[in-house]
Amino acid sequence: MTIQPPEGILCSKSHEWVLEEGDTYKIGLTDYAVEQLGDIVFVELPECGSEYAKGEVFATIESVKAASEIYMPIGGKITEVNEELINAPELINENVWEKGWLVKAQSDSFAQDSLGLLEYEDYREEAV
Amino acid sequence: MKKTALHDEHIALGAKMVEFGGWEMPVQYKSILEEHKATRSSAGIFDVSHMGQVFVSGKDALNFLQYIVPQDVSTFNINCAHYCQLLNKNGGIEDDLIIYRLEDKYLIIVNASRRENDVERFLEHSKNFDAVIEDKSSELSMIALQGPNAHKIIEKAGIDDINQPKFFTVKKTKLFDCDIFLCRTGYTGEDGFEIISKNEDIVKIWRKLLEIGKDFSITPVGLGARDTLRLEAALCLWGADIDETTTPLEADLGWSVPKNKKEPYIAKDIIMAQKTGAVPLRKKLFAFELKDRIIARHGAGIFLNGKKCGYVTSGTISPTLGKNIGLCLISFEGDCKNLATSLNTKEKSIGTIIQIMVRNKMYNAEIVKKPFVEKKYVK
Repeated sequence: MTIQPPEGILCSKSHEWVLEEGDTYKIGLTDYAVEQLGDIVFVELPECGSEYAKGEVFATIESVKAASEIYMPIGGKITEVNEELINAPELINENVWEKGWLVKAQSDSFAQDSLGLLEYEDYREEAV
Repeated sequence: MKKTALHDEHIALGAKMVEFGGWEMPVQYKSILEEHKATRSSAGIFDVSHMGQVFVSGKDALNFLQYIVPQDVSTFNINCAHYCQLLNKNGGIEDDLIIYRLEDKYLIIVNASRRENDVERFLEHSKNFDAVIEDKSSELSMIALQGPNAHKIIEKAGIDDINQPKFFTVKKTKLFDCDIFLCRTGYTGEDGFEIISKNEDIVKIWRKLLEIGKDFSITPVGLGARDTLRLEAALCLWGADIDETTTPLEADLGWSVPKNKKEPYIAKDIIMAQKTGAVPLRKKLFAFELKDRIIARHGAGIFLNGKKCGYVTSGTISPTLGKNIGLCLISFEGDCKNLATSLNTKEKSIGTIIQIMVRNKMYNAEIVKKPFVEKKYVK
């Protein structure tokens, strides 16, 4: 987990990150969350097209020890899910910022929803 | 929270610490999956000092033990270990125990979270016997060394194969000049040892075993992998699979309960009625394997033809099999009695399909034989 996060990511206090990429937003789990979870063995991802408000549960991550619900850091409509994780959930442990992304979403409410999100350094200070 | 004598060693090894049974214990060092696999393929070393050690001595030690467990303690040979249960008056399991018969006394290993309860119960029952109960838990520490290389590490540590205790026996001996009980027991399904020493000696033993063990790919293992290892071996965990509401027969531990013990013991009438089949079981513990990529954890509902008839007692991913496994208690009472008649006999139950609800969705699971992963005991 020594890889630095990409520039411009914003993190939620419930340990998700979001990164603007063109007209979509990529969403994943933070390094801190993954460290706490340990080995991830299953991922339940939402269906494309489903819509979620900020703070709604959109995925479940199973580590050996426990199942954890994952919350949308912003409101939006899922446009793509990381299918690779279905057969290789360990990608989240190995590469949380790139190969370990969970979903991509379109959001009309980003400007509003991102107000409560933190830049990575501030997040690390608050979370750890 | 209580700390074991090895607490600082765990911190130095980068362990993630959690609360367990009132103790601060390592749940993992680097990775539960890696620690699990290392124990199966080479060797794992565990701090199990949270477990309690209670000695029983005196003229009536045997009679006292005969009364508190359903097992026939008079058949225990010197230096042998036996799996036993402390029962309440209803036949429910207050704790599961390993009882060692030593030369001049008995040693009972109790679960960390049950130590106070057990000792209180022992003292209460011992009033009627000339038996001395000594709880030495706070003076003693315990390490488990498990896996196919465990015996090689002990050999390199100075106790060669010939002088190592055999399966489920104990030897009072010396390791690195420290007095220890070397027990050929464990909670992983692998060959291996449990080493009991004085608190002040355990850091030395831990460090030396880790050093010697390097040549045998030794790995420190936390409670996370201890749980997946014991579940693959289908070994019960008190508080999850067994508790005061479940009898040994209902927990499928009937193999440990003798039919012909003459002496009275707590709840003997209930236990014998279940053992002989005179009274049907109210429920039974089964092993299951999920068909889907989902983990059914403790508390998930078990359904037979749409009716809730039980719950998952333990569930995990099996790192060895790559499947999702677990244990569950299924009721044989009320409407559930007739819903899965194939569950009434062990042979017919294998292959029965049950449903388990996880996050409001139903998944199919199959009743399978125990253990999930064959035990590798060296007998």
